[in-house]
This record gives sequence, C-alpha cells and structure tokens, in this order.
Amino acid sequence: MAESPSPPAAPFPAPFPAPFPAPFTGYRQQVRPEWLDYNGHLTDAGYAIVLSEAHELLLERLGLSAEYRTSRSASMFTVATHIRYLAECAEGQTLTAETMLVDADRKRLRLHSELFADGVLAATGECLYVHVDTSLGRSAPLPEDRQEAVDAVQKAHAGLPRPAHLGLGVGVRP
Amino acid sequence: MTDRVTTPYEGREPAAWDSSAEIEAPLRLHNTPVPTEWLDYNGHMSESCYLLAFGDSADAFFRFLGIDEGYRAAGHSLYTSQTHLHHWKEAAGGDRLHLTLQVLDHDRRRLHIFHEMRHDDTGDLLASAEQLLVHVDMAAGRSTDLPDHLYERIAAIQRAHRVLPRPDVVGRPMGIRR
Repeated sequence: MAESPSPPAAPFPAPFPAPFPAPFTGYRQQVRPEWLDYNGHLTDAGYAIVLSEAHELLLERLGLSAEYRTSRSASMFTVATHIRYLAECAEGQTLTAETMLVDADRKRLRLHSELFADGVLAATGECLYVHVDTSLGRSAPLPEDRQEAVDAVQKAHAGLPRPAHLGLGVGVRP
Repeated sequence: MTDRVTTPYEGREPAAWDSSAEIEAPLRLHNTPVPTEWLDYNGHMSESCYLLAFGDSADAFFRFLGIDEGYRAAGHSLYTSQTHLHHWKEAAGGDRLHLTLQVLDHDRRRLHIFHEMRHDDTGDLLASAEQLLVHVDMAAGRSTDLPDHLYERIAAIQRAHRVLPRPDVVGRPMGIRR
C-alpha cells in the first residue's frame, strides 16, 4: 500500500521583502460603528479586535495565517494579550499600527504594536502566540521555511527601540 | 445586528447597596452561553469575544457598586487602563460560561481586578483577565478620586476578598521563558 502523501506545503507568500519593514505598518482600518460603546467610543474589546487584525497581517506575511492553517493543519494560537488603553477612539477615525516582533523561539512569537487613531497613540498591545499542530492538539516547532521568515523579521526588528513597558505586569503602583 | 456594542445590563438600575450583606468571594455576577456570533471559522469562541464577556461581567460589577447610566451622565466613570488576558482553553458554541470577579487592590482612584471564565458543566478554567481601572472625570478627561460611598464599597469588597488566594498569573509580565 502506498504511503499517504505528505500534505502539500502552503505556498509561501511572495515576495518577502528585504529589508523587511521595521516596524511593520501594513494595517489601516476605520473605527467601525459596531465597535462603539454607549459613549460612542471604541469599546475595550474593539481594541482587542484591532490588535488581533494588525497582528494577523504580520502573521500573513510570515506565511502563518489562514492558508497555512488549512494546508498544514497548524496554526498560531494566542496565549496571552496585554493591552494598555491610552486614548479614546471615535467612529470614523483611521486606525494604524506599528508592529514589532519582540521575541521568538522555535514555537513562540511575541508581537508588540502601537495603535494610532488619526496618528495619535491610542493603545499599545502585546500578544504571545504559540505554534500548534492542530491534528495533534499540541504545540510544535515551526517548519523550516516559516522559521527562516521569522528569523528574517527578527533580524530586521532587532534595532528597533524596545518600549519601556515591555516586561511590566499590571498593577496599582504607588 | 446592533449598531454598537451593548451589554446585557444596560439600563438596569443598581440594587441598593446593603452594607450588612455578606459579600461573595469571588463575586459571581455574570453567566452567558456562547452565542453563534462569537464563533470563528473553527467553531470556537474568537479571541476578542472573551473580552466582550469580561466586559459584560465588569458592567454587572459596576452596577453592583452603584455605577450606572445615571452615575456616568453626572460626569464620572471607571475606564479600563490595562487588560492582561490569558487564554487557557477553547470554548465552543452553546457552552455555558460563568464569570467570577475578585478585587485585588485599590486606592483612591484605581482598582485592580481579576476575572475568571469557567465552563459551567466541567468547571474548567477557560480564560482569565487582570484589569486596572481608573476613576475618571469625563469632562476634564483625567483621573479623579472616587466619591466616598464608592471608595467604601470597593474597600469592603477587597476586605471580603482577602480570603481568596492571589492568582499566580497576577502581575506576571508577558514573555518567552526559556
């Protein structure tokens, strides 16, 4: 009996630009009416949507987004999210993001974004992702080609200033 | 589809504060099933919807304290300054969830709280959220002291919550540990 063929590799999203933008600034989205709270401002969970959309764009550039999930039975799972709310956002404002790859190992990625509303810093958000083999239901190392892409972005982002709040927890400080 | 985010408690009058009543530790003020509009293409609850559920629980807590539309219309509110979410397990459509809320710390204008979301049938911990809230004068656009009655209620809740263990993820910074 023939061995079952290995699943076809998801095509790598080409071209992978060199040098990679540092920070990554692909995201652009208007504040949508369905994201507003009773005050007419972007609601807490809305910031989380925006952050996750901005990060998804970078994951897409790394070949780790929707197409990868279906072709490789693997996906990036969010383990933790830390948002600092700095300013209110109103309907129609344009949201943009500056995203950096803060850290990575064989299985994990840590992304940080500054979110801007009409150019004014409105929030910072940081997410920790783990690469999961969804057929086994557990974490697994990134395949070689994706690891190379991650390494390239990490190299491109190595010179970016690290935000002072990285590595601080939440709490009431005197 | 609504044209904005609503919570199940909007418009609900807070019950009068009873200073002699025993305070639950932790508070358990919100239950919800996972509605289909919260699901992603996998049939799992999508990431940002965890924060919607924690937000609804926070709204129930605000009303428990006495912060409602009337309080906000008079110019003050509690704003979220930071949220740190941890995702532990997936939730599927129709799963029934219950949320708990613990007051960890507070001062005259800040409130440090901890939420947990559990599966109703299994009791499994699905997610937790640590939040820092700030009392804000909305017209001035800056933080301001809580009025005495709210400060005293929060202090009473924190006292009642001293019996609870401090969750080990509290204050933990994010990072890749090697």
